[in-house]
Amino acid sequence: MIDILFIALAFLAISGAIAMIVYANPMYSALGVLISMLSVAGMFALLNATFLFLVQIIVYAGAIMTLILFILMFLNIKEEDLPKEPNKFKLITIGAIVMVPLNVLILKAVSKLPAKDLTISNTDFGQIKPIGLELYNNWIIAFELISILLLVALIGSVVLAQKRKSKINNKGEQL
Amino acid sequence: MISLTSYAFVSMMLFSIGVIGVVARRNIFVIYMSIEMMLNGINLFLVTFARYHFNMDPQVITIMVISIAAAEAAIFLSVIILLYRSRKSLDTDIFTTLTQGEKS
Repeated sequence: MIDILFIALAFLAISGAIAMIVYANPMYSALGVLISMLSVAGMFALLNATFLFLVQIIVYAGAIMTLILFILMFLNIKEEDLPKEPNKFKLITIGAIVMVPLNVLILKAVSKLPAKDLTISNTDFGQIKPIGLELYNNWIIAFELISILLLVALIGSVVLAQKRKSKINNKGEQL
Repeated sequence: MISLTSYAFVSMMLFSIGVIGVVARRNIFVIYMSIEMMLNGINLFLVTFARYHFNMDPQVITIMVISIAAAEAAIFLSVIILLYRSRKSLDTDIFTTLTQGEKS
């Protein structure tokens, strides 16, 4: 049962990612990424990471991809605004060939590791309480730095989105 | 039983597709989504090894990665809106010169 679930999730994750790089329209790409992220969330659930399962769905699928879809609709991109990509499939093939050695190396290294049971365990591993204890005991400095980073991102997006006085007139000359 | 290698295969596939997307595509949105895909592959790898070693640290690192991706999304998308307003294009080749005064 779990095996069939894993195979289905892996298939959906990889096919969503392939749909992302193949489609020319960014809307279809965003939907492919959404499918892929939800499948990765399902794999987190299979790996006993229940809190990360929630976080992946809420933050990635719920916030980031919704923001991307919102901005894609907001910009109202026409077909002729899309960049022309005449040799897209050639570049994808070359990239795939270049990435093969790294994959082979990593998979060989991982397959040499001793096998362990990866099924769902009944302990509280991956639930919110142990993660919170770990986060606030051993990772407190990183947590504070992340909060500063989020504040900087908030201020930065407000500064970038504000109306500014244009330094160019409509003939394209610098004033 | 699902082995460690199958999880590693899926995460490496996601990472490789992300790298290929950054290299091969010219649409700025697809490049951004490819970066997200690379982060996703790394997250899956980290969570797999958290389960393998029965250790909670990689899951905390995954939370850090997700929050950095959220911060990145805010900045990146506002920069994309500014660039699209000034250039009316999503092509990364046009964005090679980022000065405001130059006419494209």
